[in-house]
Amino acid sequence: MKLSGIKYLIDQGTENIWKNKMMAFATFCVLLISLMLVGMAVLFYINIDSIIGGISDKNEIAVFIDDSATQEQIEELGNQLSRIDGVSEVVFESKDEAFQSMMKSMPEYERIFNSLGNDNPLVNGYKVRVHDIDRVTEIIDIIEKMDNIYYIKASQEFVNILMELRRVVTLIATAIIIGLVIVSMIMISNTTKASVFSRREEIQIMKYVGATNGFIRIPFFIEGMITGFFSGAGAFLLTLLTYRSTFSILTENVGVMNVIGLGSIIPFGKIQFYVLGAYILAGAFIGGLGSVLCTRKHINV
Amino acid sequence: MVELKNVSVKYSSGVDALNNVSLKINDGDFAFVVGSSGAGKSTMIKLLLKEIDATSGSVSVNGYNLNKLKKRQIPEFRRTLGFVFQDFRLIPSMTVYENIAFVLRVIDAPRKFIKKRVPYVIGLVELQSKMNSYPDELSGGEKQRVAIARALVNDPKLIIADEPTGNIDPELSYEIVELLKGINDCGTTVLMVTHEHDLVRHFGGRIINITDGRIVFDEVIGGINDEA
Repeated sequence: MKLSGIKYLIDQGTENIWKNKMMAFATFCVLLISLMLVGMAVLFYINIDSIIGGISDKNEIAVFIDDSATQEQIEELGNQLSRIDGVSEVVFESKDEAFQSMMKSMPEYERIFNSLGNDNPLVNGYKVRVHDIDRVTEIIDIIEKMDNIYYIKASQEFVNILMELRRVVTLIATAIIIGLVIVSMIMISNTTKASVFSRREEIQIMKYVGATNGFIRIPFFIEGMITGFFSGAGAFLLTLLTYRSTFSILTENVGVMNVIGLGSIIPFGKIQFYVLGAYILAGAFIGGLGSVLCTRKHINV
Repeated sequence: MVELKNVSVKYSSGVDALNNVSLKINDGDFAFVVGSSGAGKSTMIKLLLKEIDATSGSVSVNGYNLNKLKKRQIPEFRRTLGFVFQDFRLIPSMTVYENIAFVLRVIDAPRKFIKKRVPYVIGLVELQSKMNSYPDELSGGEKQRVAIARALVNDPKLIIADEPTGNIDPELSYEIVELLKGINDCGTTVLMVTHEHDLVRHFGGRIINITDGRIVFDEVIGGINDEA
């Protein structure tokens, strides 16, 4: 096809939006709402996941070191712990520091502690923070195989609760997102079908005068893509406004932030380009492809 | 040239729309196809446009063997035809000029050629003053003249007109047939489907009568003009 032919088809696609402005507007609105519903559900899930992640970050594995270990072996163990994939922080706590800390936390037993004199019953240890809560059990298994380990203590119950919570949230969020995607696809498909149906005669005429399927579909594709692009941009703006206002309501509430943890809610600025890209790409893709697929029924003449 | 050899069309519903039809229309001919509703006229047109396939027999149009024509070759084949619909089928969002130029754009004709050719065919159907009008601003007769100009613009070997006078005033019907006769005089084969017997009697020529899916009459008769 000549360059002028391609230009003609692109022009046709653009002009068709204006010529069929009511149907284009309907498609725009449906696509915008659908994108926003799915987008907001995804953002909600990402934030819930981040909050759970924030809580799980506070989870520690206490690794107690065998008393017979030398200073070099203790340091080597620290290095080995830091190198484990999934470990975010390793902090050494000497037996003296642990003893002081215990005394401070239990002042009512001061007399008993004093009676021990220099005979500290505690051992040196490391506090290991795990980045991904799902990997706590796996990391414990790795540590157990290391030398000079006296005892490992982890709040398995807490880990299990968080893992279950994350599993349930993921399951519910996935179901909601899939449901919304299906509803959106039905809405988009019906609107696009109606838009194409209103121009079925035009498609048939094109076929009778010898237009190829590509010649008929390209303007529809371009029209759908442009409409989808603007729907994506519109959905982004609405999401931005909704997200920012929700974010400021939550972050201004000290009580809420204490529960969910400071910094657990992702600021929009951090993800805005991904959100914009995803909305525009999804809008243009669904709009373009949806229009082309809907012409199929009328193109076979 | 149009050639049907022992063609039968049976729909999935069991209806025999065409039954062992053989027909030959030579280049440069003008033929009327007449018959009552449900006789098989529309089926014959669908067959000639490769909209449907024959159940048996062979169909050849403008040198294309339609039995062997692949789906992707259909656009190329249809570009050798001009088609006039009873209900005009003009694209409402396009002007008269755009409706006609559209056919040339489909075949990727050069822009210069389109700019010359479209006003020329609009002149042939005498609609120069309506070049920038939209279909809903035209009368029935004018719409059909635009449809004829559209069928003519890519210089087809064959024009198939399906009841072209069905949606217009009787007095304008004669004008439309005159126009098609004029096109035929320039060498284009014209096949006009109609059920208006008065019109056929008036112009005469080759008459093909289809009844119950069979050709019951295929002869050349003299028209009223000829008798006069």
